[in-house]
Amino acid sequence: MVIEKQDVVIVGAGAAGLMLAARLAEGGQSVTVLEAGPERKLNDLVSSQIWARKLKWSEPAVSESGDHKIGHAFNAGSGTGGSALHHYGVWLRMHEGDFSLNSNHGVGLDWPLDYAALAPHYDRVQSEVGLSGDSVQERWRPQGAPYPMPPLPLFTQSRLLAKGFEKTGRHTAPLPLAINSEPYQGRQSCQYDGWCDAGCPIGALGNPLVVWLPRALAAGAKLEHNARASRVIRSAKNTQLIESVEYLQDGERKTIQADRIIIAAFAVQSVRILLSSATQQHAAPGDHSDKLGRYLMTHPAATIFGLFAEETYPHQGVTAGQLLNHDDYDKKDAPGGFGSSQWMIGHAIKPHDLLGYGTNRPDITGAALEPWLKRASRHLGNMTLVCEDIALPDNRITLSEKVGPEGIAYAHAHHDLDATAAARWTQRMSEGADIMRAAGASEVWSGPRIGQHIMGGAVMGEDPAESVTDAFGRVHDTDNLYVAGPALFPSSGAVNPTFTISALASRQADHLLNQ
Amino acid sequence: MPASLNRRQLLSRSTAAGFFMVAGQWLWLTPQEAQARAFEPQILSPDQCNALSSLGDAFVPGAAAGGIAAYIDLQLQAGDDSLLIGKYLGVDTSAQTGFYRAAADNVIALTDESTSLQTFIADMAADSLSNWAGPPASYVLFVLRADALDVVYGTPEGFDTLGIPYMAHIKPEKPW
Repeated sequence: MVIEKQDVVIVGAGAAGLMLAARLAEGGQSVTVLEAGPERKLNDLVSSQIWARKLKWSEPAVSESGDHKIGHAFNAGSGTGGSALHHYGVWLRMHEGDFSLNSNHGVGLDWPLDYAALAPHYDRVQSEVGLSGDSVQERWRPQGAPYPMPPLPLFTQSRLLAKGFEKTGRHTAPLPLAINSEPYQGRQSCQYDGWCDAGCPIGALGNPLVVWLPRALAAGAKLEHNARASRVIRSAKNTQLIESVEYLQDGERKTIQADRIIIAAFAVQSVRILLSSATQQHAAPGDHSDKLGRYLMTHPAATIFGLFAEETYPHQGVTAGQLLNHDDYDKKDAPGGFGSSQWMIGHAIKPHDLLGYGTNRPDITGAALEPWLKRASRHLGNMTLVCEDIALPDNRITLSEKVGPEGIAYAHAHHDLDATAAARWTQRMSEGADIMRAAGASEVWSGPRIGQHIMGGAVMGEDPAESVTDAFGRVHDTDNLYVAGPALFPSSGAVNPTFTISALASRQADHLLNQ
Repeated sequence: MPASLNRRQLLSRSTAAGFFMVAGQWLWLTPQEAQARAFEPQILSPDQCNALSSLGDAFVPGAAAGGIAAYIDLQLQAGDDSLLIGKYLGVDTSAQTGFYRAAADNVIALTDESTSLQTFIADMAADSLSNWAGPPASYVLFVLRADALDVVYGTPEGFDTLGIPYMAHIKPEKPW
């Protein structure tokens, strides 16, 4: 069946793609979303860390290089909801200083917009999704509407760790979360079981299946699953116009035409699709100045663990954690390194899987293991450091030499961590160990430094010579091709990106509807 | 797996249990049951299964009886849909079969009945095994130990052993 020409085709059914589908369809546009992965429903979200791996991007695998890899297999999702289906719901606003890194500090890139331009969209989206938090205690928060729900209750582990921050002269506040602390818009409240990574089937966590998908479908948007976009195709008559998306579905190569095309396929696949769209006659859309794929970013992050005499019940709560510390966030130039940093405190944690406490003590094996696990299951505390990455041009997404059986090129991601950002990470990790000991931990250790969240690759900017898209995500050398999602970010800040992804998409939606 | 089932049908039923070849018949079993019934591996050789089982059990007691070899062999059959933790740790699904075969072959080549597995593990952790081939031994240790943790403690029963309430919204199919 050939789908008739649409007003809008969106590639990717994640946080940005499904929000845009909902808003544009509600605005009277005909919308089709192409999603590479399978249809996901709430009853697919089985409470198991092993089953949870089904939700992640698998093939075509992204090859990686560099001294601080992006961790695509853990960070990227597949299927309805994308990576937002298994995200942990930490919804933090970027701070004002995150938007002008180059102007203020001479490093990285500036955004072509400031916090004030996004603020009304942060406010609108937090009401639509439902955020819990305390905007008064969160003293570092930029100006904005109060959270619609009170914060989640504080569990034993977090109360204990908060003492470490207090004793070292630091402040904590409830972590703002897209998780219901009370029933909200027909969705029930959280049950604090820590299965967030496996996806929340009860609607307490505001994933795209429960927030945007129902609205998109009610407004007439269509979703095509197992529809893997291979490239976009320029009009032969007007090369500024992108007339269609080519995709593979059911073993067939198909195309769908639209007046406007939005690539919202998460950072790596969005760039892959654009790079694959180059022809002998024309460079890839957005690659007019060799910036497509560049400025790839991932937050350097790590978890610190401690064992306490007190019982902490670390299975309770939510995977994201319960408390936040941003005391150092706006001190990007502080001695010892460069960049913002944050602590997320008190994760609900499992004994196994990538983030599990058993996994992060490979030195303990054999007969000693189970007694240790039993002790950790009742006496563990943990918190995660997230530091800022700096956009560097040689950190980039390229097409790999490897081509899949369907003719789709694989992507390669190269990422090295800037030395000053690495120094900041080392500095804060040392401080974190001190905080953990101040809280009373008798034994303190940390997991490895990992890449958390993926951003950049199709950065927005005022100057087409230095960016891929304009301030509304329109690819510079086209009239009607847009990028949405974290690929647009010219800087990473040190906050989880989903709130900013959503606010940007909200702003894009308004722009597209007003054109 | 049975020729009458395609991979999507196989995986739609369960990622915990699966079809295992036992005495020439395909049977729907858990990895633990498959191990107990001397399943016939489809990707790994019996010797490779034994090696991974022994090493996994040395990392995490209970992994052998829990069916770690059967679990790995089953997931390797799934190809792109493998749920082994290796894909988070840099072992893409396309590379997993080679990874586990190489790991097992190293154990077969470098151990015998007199080998202390705890000493062997210490040498793996230190990357001090001079004839170890392929990915670093310490890396293999991390990955295989994580698999063993999955098998033994990544289940409601494993949680129960540790005194943790499982609190499932949707319970995984037994017997995890």
